[in-house]
Amino acid sequence: MPATTYDVLIIGSGASGGMVARTLTMKGIKCLMLDAGPAFDFERDRTLRPVYELPYRGFGKPGRFPHVTQANEFTAALWADEKQNPYSYDPKDPYYWVRIRRIGGKTLVWGRASWRLSDYEFKAKDHDGFGDNWPISYKDLAPYYDQCEPLLHVSGRKEGLPQLPDGVFLDDPSTDSPSGARFIAEAKKRGIPTTKQRRAQGTLASSMNLLLPDATATGNLTIVPNSVVREITVDKKTGLVNGVSFVDRRSKREMHVKARIVVVGASCLESTRLLLNSGLANSSGVLGHYLFDQFYVKNTVQAVTSETGGSTGYIPRFTNLNGEKKNYLRGYAVDFGSGGTPDPKYFPLYGEELQKALNTHRGRGFSATTMGSVLPRYENHVAIDKNVVDAWGVPSLHIQTRYTDNEFNMAKDAMNTLAELCQASGFELLEKHDKMVPPGESIHELGTCRMGDNPKASVLNQWNQTHDVKNLFVVDGSSFVTGGSQNPTLTITALAMRASEYMAEQMRKGDL
Amino acid sequence: MKRRSFVGALAAIPAATALAQPGIEAVPHYFSATQLSALRKLSDLIVPAVGDTPGALDAGVPEFLDFLIGESPADRQRLYRDGLNALNAAAQRKHGKPFADLTAAEADGVLTPLHERWTYAEPHDVLAAFLHAAKADILTGTVNSREWTSVVSQRSRSAAGTGIYWNPIE
Repeated sequence: MPATTYDVLIIGSGASGGMVARTLTMKGIKCLMLDAGPAFDFERDRTLRPVYELPYRGFGKPGRFPHVTQANEFTAALWADEKQNPYSYDPKDPYYWVRIRRIGGKTLVWGRASWRLSDYEFKAKDHDGFGDNWPISYKDLAPYYDQCEPLLHVSGRKEGLPQLPDGVFLDDPSTDSPSGARFIAEAKKRGIPTTKQRRAQGTLASSMNLLLPDATATGNLTIVPNSVVREITVDKKTGLVNGVSFVDRRSKREMHVKARIVVVGASCLESTRLLLNSGLANSSGVLGHYLFDQFYVKNTVQAVTSETGGSTGYIPRFTNLNGEKKNYLRGYAVDFGSGGTPDPKYFPLYGEELQKALNTHRGRGFSATTMGSVLPRYENHVAIDKNVVDAWGVPSLHIQTRYTDNEFNMAKDAMNTLAELCQASGFELLEKHDKMVPPGESIHELGTCRMGDNPKASVLNQWNQTHDVKNLFVVDGSSFVTGGSQNPTLTITALAMRASEYMAEQMRKGDL
Repeated sequence: MKRRSFVGALAAIPAATALAQPGIEAVPHYFSATQLSALRKLSDLIVPAVGDTPGALDAGVPEFLDFLIGESPADRQRLYRDGLNALNAAAQRKHGKPFADLTAAEADGVLTPLHERWTYAEPHDVLAAFLHAAKADILTGTVNSREWTSVVSQRSRSAAGTGIYWNPIE
């Protein structure tokens, strides 16, 4: 029997891997998908349970997830176990690396915010001189955004903002609460734009139920869960990659599979870790460098309003668009929302008085979270830490990154701006602050495998194809050159779709 | 009974949560007796029973926190132990008796950090840091209890405290 070789081997089943699988299999290309985690069934593998029946009453097993603030006792089994999946950092510069190893990847907990990048990001260097431009511009990606938004059921409104291009949206019929409307009006007076949220609909919107079903329906996709990829293997004669070595998650049995093309979509830092462990695609020396994300200041302002009623909105980046001079480059976005009840910690009370205050303010909360652009810097990087291996013996990462004055100054400006807007709107401000969560916690990690036209200064070309090895692609957020303040998933899917169409065309022409 | 039918019958027996059964109670083991007394007093002050709404003592919060903190990382354990000791020391200094024996008015004079505005700056004072942490834990422990959710659910006709639990993976 001749050895089977798959056309395309896809590592990872999340936003990027799912989109590549969908795009390629629908063109008739045979794909094999490996994911480090298990397959599961939303019905069979989840149970409705009261919190008081959980062993830790909802607090979760203490110390189980020191770096995953998103985990709780209900979702503990969803997140990658930190003991099985260790990594290291300098204690001075903590990094929260948040991972999910399951079919569907991190899209299983996707916040679903879906914003396009603009040429303020793709051509960021042209605007402010810092760093590098992407090798593509907005018009190159726009046709793919046009296809991805309907696939992900993104709702929103067209607002005509150059820094936040409009898309193909489902209608958003929501109205603004009275306090939300006052906040929006005060923002407008100051020249600060606001928009409705743009969000994929459905709380389970994920690769698992929006992308993989179409791919499996073609009959061209084989998914093998529980496959922890150790290394991408190379044909010494041609220098091309020819498959991967992997380990079965449960039995730890070693395996190998061959493929014509290898596509890595294992998540930003896992993909880079795999390339580093494989000794591939690093002739430039920049693999692992330029790690960034968006800094988050959660609940930058917390206020209470005089009336109940809930609605949400978004302030897109509005600073440094037209040559004004802030004490920082680029800008930040804000998620704001009215309604809900402020956390009890904001009330300097206890006992019956606290319960009365909570009852009085029920449904009258207002809060806003800042999401700021982080400058991509060479020195913020990851490298293999040979002393730290995971439960399958795969060397893990040492992560070294920190925010700088550009981010700190931006956070302070955001805090002051939002406090002013709250006060002008007649809200009672309970607290304002500019304390960021640690890098990584936003789960928007980007860079480390950046795109570029120059093979000496970048890992990938504009098609997410490595400069060094033509049949090796990296399709997740690691390819980003800048990230702006927009949540990255929509752009990850658009880039993955664009890379897939290029791949299919190259295969058709016999160049791959 | 054949083994197969016995196993089948076993599967049909509804599993009970131990602490919901009459006669079964948790045995505190982590805090010292004086620490636990202070924690009971503090819990009752933070979330007292009001009308038919159960308080932290009804919800067994001090005993639950004895278990939770006993299982927690060292820095959390230190925060609680040092905080409860500081609470008792402050009560002794001001009133010559342990915190558990204070009147509500006397206790209020010791709990001054809870009357100060909360900020993101971590308090350096041991007592203040502990009181803010304990306030949050006692509230959550109460709201997540069977006692609280059963009353609130009946009142609001909502399934308070219910969530989608991801089963552990193999």
